[in-house]
Amino acid sequence: MPKVCYTQPDGTERVVEAEVGDSVMQAAVRNGVPGILGQCGGSLSCATCHVFLDERHADDFPPVGEDEDDMLDVAATDRADNSRLSCQLVLAAGQEVHVTIPETQL
Amino acid sequence: MTTTPGTEYPFAPMPPAEAVEHLGRIIADRPMTKMTMPYGGDVWLVHRNAAAREILSDRRFVREPFRTGERVVPFFVPFPDFLRGTLQFEDPPQHTKLRKLVQKAISPKRVREMRDSAVAFANELIDGMIDRGGVRDLVPEYSLSLPIEMLSNLLGVPSSDREKFERWSSSTLAVAGKSDAEVAADMAELAAYMTDLIAERREEPRDDLLSALAHARDRDETLTDAEILPIAFILIVGGFDNTATFLSTGVLALLSNDEQRAQFAADPDGLAATTAEEVLRHGGFATGRPAGGGGGLVPFVATEDVVVDGQLIAKGDAVSIDLTAAGHDPTAVTEPARFDIARPDNPHLTLSHGLHHCLGAPLARMELQVGLAELVKRIPGLRLAGEPVFSRDVLTQPMTSLPVTW
Repeated sequence: MPKVCYTQPDGTERVVEAEVGDSVMQAAVRNGVPGILGQCGGSLSCATCHVFLDERHADDFPPVGEDEDDMLDVAATDRADNSRLSCQLVLAAGQEVHVTIPETQL
Repeated sequence: MTTTPGTEYPFAPMPPAEAVEHLGRIIADRPMTKMTMPYGGDVWLVHRNAAAREILSDRRFVREPFRTGERVVPFFVPFPDFLRGTLQFEDPPQHTKLRKLVQKAISPKRVREMRDSAVAFANELIDGMIDRGGVRDLVPEYSLSLPIEMLSNLLGVPSSDREKFERWSSSTLAVAGKSDAEVAADMAELAAYMTDLIAERREEPRDDLLSALAHARDRDETLTDAEILPIAFILIVGGFDNTATFLSTGVLALLSNDEQRAQFAADPDGLAATTAEEVLRHGGFATGRPAGGGGGLVPFVATEDVVVDGQLIAKGDAVSIDLTAAGHDPTAVTEPARFDIARPDNPHLTLSHGLHHCLGAPLARMELQVGLAELVKRIPGLRLAGEPVFSRDVLTQPMTSLPVTW
C-alpha cells in the first residue's frame, strides 16, 4: 500500500496510507489532510493542490506537463523548482512519498 | 417516494436547528433521494458529502443533453435559456479549452495581487457610508459595490456601468416579474455592449481578461466572439450577485451571533479565511431564518449506469447535489448545526467541486474575506436597523436590502 508523508508549513507531519492509483491530492482530501484543497478534483484548473515534492522523489513521477506548468505559474504560493500539483502525482504499489504543503493555496 | 418518517425530502422551511437534524436523519437513511422537480422531471438529489464529491469528480456525469436542448433542466423554475450556452454546460474537451483560459485570469495568484485594491475599495465604500450616516442599506452601498468593482477591473469593463450590470444580471437571471420581451431586449443590449468591448480590446489590448480572451491562442486556435461572449455573460451575471448575497448573509449571520461576532472582531484578519468558509457553508442557517430542502446545483445526466454509495443511478437519470445537506453531513462536518467561524476543516460544497467548480472561487473567497474583515474593523458597532429583503424573482434569490446603522 502506498504511503504519503505530508509536512505542514509549521513542520508537523502526517503519514497517510493511500490506495494504488490514488493521487497525492486524493489521498490528502480523503484523509482530511489540511492545506490541500483539490477543488477541481484533478482536472488541472484550480492550482489548489500545490505541493513541494521532496527532491529524492524527483524521478519517481512523470515530469511536469504543459497544463500543470501553466497552473503552477498561477498558484497562490510562488512555485519552486520542486513544485508539483499533487493531483498529477499518482501512487504505485509500495511507493512512499514525502511532500511539503505550501503556506497557502488561495 | 416512500421515506422513513422524519426523513422526508423535499421538506418545507423549518427553524435552522431542526433543519440540520432533519438533514442528519436523511443522510443516515440514504445517500440520495429521487424527487420530481417543478420543471424537467425527476432528478436524484445527493445528500451525503462523500457521494456528492464522487459524482462531481466522475466524468460519466455530463451536461450535454441540457446544452443541446434534448433534455429540460430539472429545476425549481424554468432554467434561463442563455445559461445553457455558457461554460457550466460544456463538457470536455471544449470545456477544458475555455475553462483554462479563464481560470488563468482568475487564478489564486492573480486574486492575491488584487487583494490590496479590494481592501482600499472596501474602505472607500465604508468612508461613504460613515459620511452619509443614519440608516444605510448595506446591499447596494457595500455588498454589491465591492464585487462589481473587482469584476469590472478584472474583466476590463468600466465600473461606471454598474447600473447596467445590475439590470442585465437581474434580467438575464429573471424567473418572474419580467416579460420575455424585456429579457430579450436586455440580453441584446448586453450582447451588443460586450461585442463592442471585445472589438476594442482586439484593437488595443489592455491588462484585463477580455483582452486576454480576445488575444488567446490555445495551441493554434483563436477564440471567436461567439466563444468569448458566453464567458463574459456568465462572469457578469454570475460574478457579483452571489458574492454580494454571501457577503450580506455573512454580515447578518455575525450580527445574529454575538459570541462569534466578538471572536471575529478580536482578530478579523486572522479569522477572515475560516469565517468566509463558514459563511459559505452555514451562513444562511446562522441568520436564524427558516431553512428548507428541495433542490441543488445545476444537474448532470448519467451517460451509463453508475452505482454511487450503493445506489444505482441509471443511464439517462439526472443527478444534482443537495449543497445544504452536503454542508451539514455529520460524517464530514463536526457539529454541523454550530456556526463556528474558526472551523479548521470545512469541506462544504457550496462552490462545488470537480470540473465545474466555481470559476470565480478565488475571487469570491477573497471578496468575502476582505468585505467582512474591513467592515468589522471600521464599524465595530454595526447593528441591524430592519429586516433583510430577498428577491424571489431572480434565479439566485439574492438579498436586495439589509438596513444597518451603528
